[in-house]
Amino acid sequence: MTANNIVMIGVSTGGPIALKHLFANLPPLNAAVVIVLHIPPGMDYRIARSLASVASMPVTLAGDGEYLHSRRIYLAPGGYHLTLHGNSRVVLTEGAKVNFVQPSVDVAMKSLLKPLRRKRIIGVILTGMGKDGAEGVRHISEIGGVNIAQDQESSAIYGMPKAAVETGLVDFVFPPEKISQKLVELLSGQASYSSKV
Amino acid sequence: MDSRIMIVDDEDMIREAVEILLESEGMGIVTAAGGKECLGHLKAGFKGVILMDIMMPEMDGWDTIREIVEHGLYEGNVIVMLTAMDSPDERMEGLQEYVTDYITKPFNTDSLLDSLRYYQSLLQLETGINDRQ
Repeated sequence: MTANNIVMIGVSTGGPIALKHLFANLPPLNAAVVIVLHIPPGMDYRIARSLASVASMPVTLAGDGEYLHSRRIYLAPGGYHLTLHGNSRVVLTEGAKVNFVQPSVDVAMKSLLKPLRRKRIIGVILTGMGKDGAEGVRHISEIGGVNIAQDQESSAIYGMPKAAVETGLVDFVFPPEKISQKLVELLSGQASYSSKV
Repeated sequence: MDSRIMIVDDEDMIREAVEILLESEGMGIVTAAGGKECLGHLKAGFKGVILMDIMMPEMDGWDTIREIVEHGLYEGNVIVMLTAMDSPDERMEGLQEYVTDYITKPFNTDSLLDSLRYYQSLLQLETGINDRQ
């Protein structure tokens, strides 16, 4: 059975340690977690293996044509853009870089479709230089999803989270450890979606 | 075998401070006073974590990373910026994929050591979590 909910995380420089902090205390989620990290081929599998050593959910590199399942973490491989077909199947494509990067967070987030009733889309923008992910945040808001950004103090580079917050469409701003707590709350249906920052 | 650390900085005091700190922790360290010297170490086979300053004469940190990538010397290394610049300038655009972390000076030694140990552990992981498509 494919995933009910999707958490899509966009992250760049400073990301490996931010992700480690985010996943270290995160229980298995009723969601597929997709990570789009700006990383070159050759480093991606190392990051995936490293995250697997701290995460409570299995971590793999996302494969072309693969269907997403809940309680699993998928890392976009370096050198490809990752998109989702029907919010469920991974499509990897080569081609031009977007926002100077490949994979691009905007490309991945903008492929998300408005979820069916009772299914949730959550976008998370963590540390990184530039503005990749800001358009993705805008799109996730338009399709009824929730957006979270890393705070300035805990960000190695407060570029991508800042650009996301400046859209006015980020619902919550936290350090990685609190983002974990918020994901648990959101996916257990306990939290309010109303507090735009 | 532990991967090594390379400190690339034109300031003697910074290189020496980092060298003393890391040697006291039993980490193998190589020093470079600039980009050209860094490239020389890489061409000679250095693999490990590269702590790179940004503002250096002749070849700055960004130019050095571009040379590393263009000469196929990136594989097997992690690049961490160690800089006095609070946030990077636009010249970093296009290099995000190759800059794993960004640490500002003055740095917290415990935090730096934790980060370096983590990046060393990344480089020691074997290939093959699953097959690339």
